[in-house]
Amino acid sequence: MKTIRQMLLAVLLTALLPPMAFAQLTDASEIVGKANIAAYYAGDDGRSAARMLIMDANGNRQQRQFTLLRQDVEDGGDQRYLVVFSRPADIRGTVFRVEKQVGRDDDRWLYLPALDLVKRIAAGDKRTSFVGSHFFYEDISGRALEEDNHTLIETTDEHYLIESTPKDPDTVEFASFRTWIDRETMLPMRSEYARASGEVYRRMEVTEVETIDGYPTGTEVRMADLDSGGYTITQFRFSEYDIGLPDRIFSERSLRNPPREWLQRN
Amino acid sequence: MGRRLAEFAMNHPKAVFIGTLLITLLGTALIPLIQIDTDPENMLPADQEDRVRHNAIKEQFNLNDMIVVGVVNDDHPEGVFNPTSLSAVHALSRGIAEIDGVIRQDLLSLSTVDNIEQAGPGTIRFEWMMNTPPQTAAEATAIREATLDLPLFRDTLISGDGEATAIYVPIVAKDQSHRISREIQALIDELEGDNQYHITGLPVAEDTFGVEMFIQMAISAPLAALVIFALMWWFFRSVTLVAAPMLMAFAVVLTTMGALIGMGYTVHIMSSMIPIFLMPIAVVDSVHIISEFADRYRKGRDARETMAEVMEHLFTPMLYTSITSAIGFASLAFTPIPPVQVFGLFVAAGILLAFLLTVIFIPAYTVRLKPERLAALQASGRRAAPDDTGLARGLIGLGGMAVKNAKIVVSVFALGLVIAGYGISQITVNDNPVRWFQSDHRIRVADRVLNEHFAGTYSAYLRLESDVSAAAPADFAEESSAIIEQAEGAGVDIRGPWQQMLREAEQNSDDFNAKLEQLSLAVDDALFMAGDQAYPWWESLLTLIDETRGRLNVFQRPEMLAYIADFQAALADSPEVGKVNTLADLVRTVYRELRSGDESDYRIPESRQAVAQTILSFQGSHRPHDLWRMVTPDYQAANLWLQLSSGDNQDMQAVVDQAEAYVEENPLPQGITMSWGGLNYINVVWQDAMVKGMAQSLAIAWVMVAVMMLLLFRSFVFGLLAMIPLTVSIAFIYGVVGLIGKYYDMPIAVLSSLTLGLSVDFAIHFIERSRENYRRTGSFTKSMQLMFREPARAISRNAIVIAIGFLPLLAAPLVPYNTVGIFLASIMATSAIASIVLLPALMKLIRRWIMPDRSQTTEESA
Repeated sequence: MKTIRQMLLAVLLTALLPPMAFAQLTDASEIVGKANIAAYYAGDDGRSAARMLIMDANGNRQQRQFTLLRQDVEDGGDQRYLVVFSRPADIRGTVFRVEKQVGRDDDRWLYLPALDLVKRIAAGDKRTSFVGSHFFYEDISGRALEEDNHTLIETTDEHYLIESTPKDPDTVEFASFRTWIDRETMLPMRSEYARASGEVYRRMEVTEVETIDGYPTGTEVRMADLDSGGYTITQFRFSEYDIGLPDRIFSERSLRNPPREWLQRN
Repeated sequence: MGRRLAEFAMNHPKAVFIGTLLITLLGTALIPLIQIDTDPENMLPADQEDRVRHNAIKEQFNLNDMIVVGVVNDDHPEGVFNPTSLSAVHALSRGIAEIDGVIRQDLLSLSTVDNIEQAGPGTIRFEWMMNTPPQTAAEATAIREATLDLPLFRDTLISGDGEATAIYVPIVAKDQSHRISREIQALIDELEGDNQYHITGLPVAEDTFGVEMFIQMAISAPLAALVIFALMWWFFRSVTLVAAPMLMAFAVVLTTMGALIGMGYTVHIMSSMIPIFLMPIAVVDSVHIISEFADRYRKGRDARETMAEVMEHLFTPMLYTSITSAIGFASLAFTPIPPVQVFGLFVAAGILLAFLLTVIFIPAYTVRLKPERLAALQASGRRAAPDDTGLARGLIGLGGMAVKNAKIVVSVFALGLVIAGYGISQITVNDNPVRWFQSDHRIRVADRVLNEHFAGTYSAYLRLESDVSAAAPADFAEESSAIIEQAEGAGVDIRGPWQQMLREAEQNSDDFNAKLEQLSLAVDDALFMAGDQAYPWWESLLTLIDETRGRLNVFQRPEMLAYIADFQAALADSPEVGKVNTLADLVRTVYRELRSGDESDYRIPESRQAVAQTILSFQGSHRPHDLWRMVTPDYQAANLWLQLSSGDNQDMQAVVDQAEAYVEENPLPQGITMSWGGLNYINVVWQDAMVKGMAQSLAIAWVMVAVMMLLLFRSFVFGLLAMIPLTVSIAFIYGVVGLIGKYYDMPIAVLSSLTLGLSVDFAIHFIERSRENYRRTGSFTKSMQLMFREPARAISRNAIVIAIGFLPLLAAPLVPYNTVGIFLASIMATSAIASIVLLPALMKLIRRWIMPDRSQTTEESA
């Protein structure tokens, strides 16, 4: 009796549940590839208003507010970014422009309005702080997949757990990092960076996800520095995709004259 | 009283022995709970104002105590800037980062800092200075040039001559620095190459001192005991009898230390010397008893009766000497320095315990000895006491001379006092934990080498703080109301939603800046909902909020940075300051690199916004948090890190004076206050408190002892006379300290109490016995002749026992112990001479009033 009832229940449940969005993946490079697309390449372009709250271990807080414009040249490939700061007021109008180039070093420019100065930031290490927060440049624009070796460690009901080790350990401060990728949305929900001793010293967590224009989007991300006890929370608000950003706004001209019409929400 | 106590003890010797044994065992059992404390910060009470501020500054700017590791290479022409040496530095830095207790993210070394430089026209580069060790000589040279080019690193990370480098290791707590420095040394031992490494820094000096002090406690005090024992044996020739005071001294020391530890006090530099101070004082009274017992005991006589007589005779002077010695030390409780208070009170308690044990333990012990042993003692007493030993003849001659040439003696002492007075005026108050080690100690060597190469391994922090946030909320309320009212005047009502925002912001945060932040977000949101009419008013509110927040960022204002830049330049001009590191350096350096990299652009940007954006550029580096060691995230307080090449308190004091003089000439900007922090500054504060406190406690103790003397002798003149040897001794000792240029530091300071306590002992015995002799003989001359036999010998013996007993301290590798040893000997000599020579000379000059010769007839008729 009992077995029959259980079987019946199982059949019913299977019939009622929607089919899985993705079948179970087993190839690590396929998984990280999809995760990369989900996290950094939603739509052909996008706009988001970001607020950063930077907290140190003593409870001191700093705030950053900026608008992020992005255009994909190719899915999973080159991208263009424009980051325009609005707050604190003393840095209003400061702009970063990034030409992300897969397989090559990115090009980065910085405009400082109070100095009326455009400066190219030399290629090289992208694991430096993004405007004093606990995020690195690389966390904002994505780390090139080919820089690491990726291994699928575990597949749970919810996550793929990937361990990545750098091909050139001298260029990074970590020995390895693990990423928990949501099986349904393919968004990396958590990353933990470890030293050679295995000690985890840095942790990224996506604490809120919203589906916007059909794209699951991490709208609140927290990066913790476990050495110092500080952390940064970034909220992405008013995110929009496929808004038709023109190529011309990702130019040097836009540094001095940010494209106001594209920075405002509709 | 003395007789009754002694008889009681002699009737119950077992109870006395068991009681003594019990308290000693109890004390000894508590000793393993020992907690060593060498933190000079604890010289100040935990709630002391400067100490609280020092800790607040450390927390405010994420400052930690630092171990400094210097790397030098004398063999290579390029110093350490060659591939092999830098590889070792790189490996060492990586290793240090892994040590438990090291604050990894603040570790400063060539391989953990960023280089900021030009990378072609219009291009700036932030990258690790030395992420991987250089492979070629050219790469090593490039690292040297880049480091020398950055003002924040020059003379700090790299020596000015470009040959040495340093690693600054911030640690979580000072009391781990000895362990961490040993782990660093272990890493160094495994490194290859021919670099020389030096480890120093105040925390290492302090913590290492604690470790060595612990060892010294276990060596010096027992060694001193051994020497005292040998000397007493020399005088009395009876191991069994001499064992009594030694056992008692151990009982006193163990019980006192056990009590101190058991009551939860930490063993500080001062309290570690308690055994050394107690040992001689505990023995002194017993020497008097044994000396007199040996004189009086005759074969066939009842030992018990002899002892009772001796005790009856000596009880009062011993009681008074013990109480006065105890007062001398207890007066240290009037100093405002907790470890000195603890030291004074426990030595005082130990002295009283020693007295109690002396009057019960020594009699009980002596009468338990077999008659044969006592007979032997008596024989040796005979042998030691005759008047024709060298010491005896010397004393008789000395006494005769002093009495005969009283005027000259007194004049010589008076002249000595004048010179001493001059010497005292020359005393330099100074201390430096690094100087606690002898000059060939590795810490002293490291200190010398590193401070030759670099700006300085000692840190002081000068904080500038603004009161801008005090008035800001009221100003903001007024200005925002004005906008709301203007809007109403123009027919736009936004009061309701604005007040709602204010309420919400009020609820969510106590901090004004955080409130403003929340308001700005709320108004920002409101702007998107606002109609065309309301829009401009919301916009002006947002502008006001932003402007208010901007105004709060005081240390982003160019004029503030300019003040800091001038101030630091003036401070760095003084010889004591090697270098000052400030926000102004950071902003100027980043600005220079943003502009052109040329020296002409090493300046402060012209607007607050330009400063903010320059700082934002720096925050794109690997170590943005370095900023918060120079300024608080609200930009309302700035920290000037002074690197001093000397840990001397007087040098720190000179810097403080200089800063004050500068501020006098160049007033601080409106609303800015200045305050100090850092270990070196804390040392100055407690030293200041110590000097004032010592003078006060010495004065109090002097008056109390004087009152005791009046009570004891029931005579104003004799009371005053008894105070003269100690006064002269203290004056002479400190006069010599001033004349030879020895710094007045903590051990020197507490010696005043010891002098007070011991000198008065000699004077009491001398005066008491003189008066006794005078009562018997009725003649000053005869009394004095008697005085230079047995009584003078007892005093001299005591002085010699103590002085020689502490000479082993000179062998200790720690300077404060040497100081105490050498000054103890000098004090003993000075006070013995002052008592034996000056007192009789003075008495002779005033003998007509105090000891007039009585004619036989007067005596008979009286």
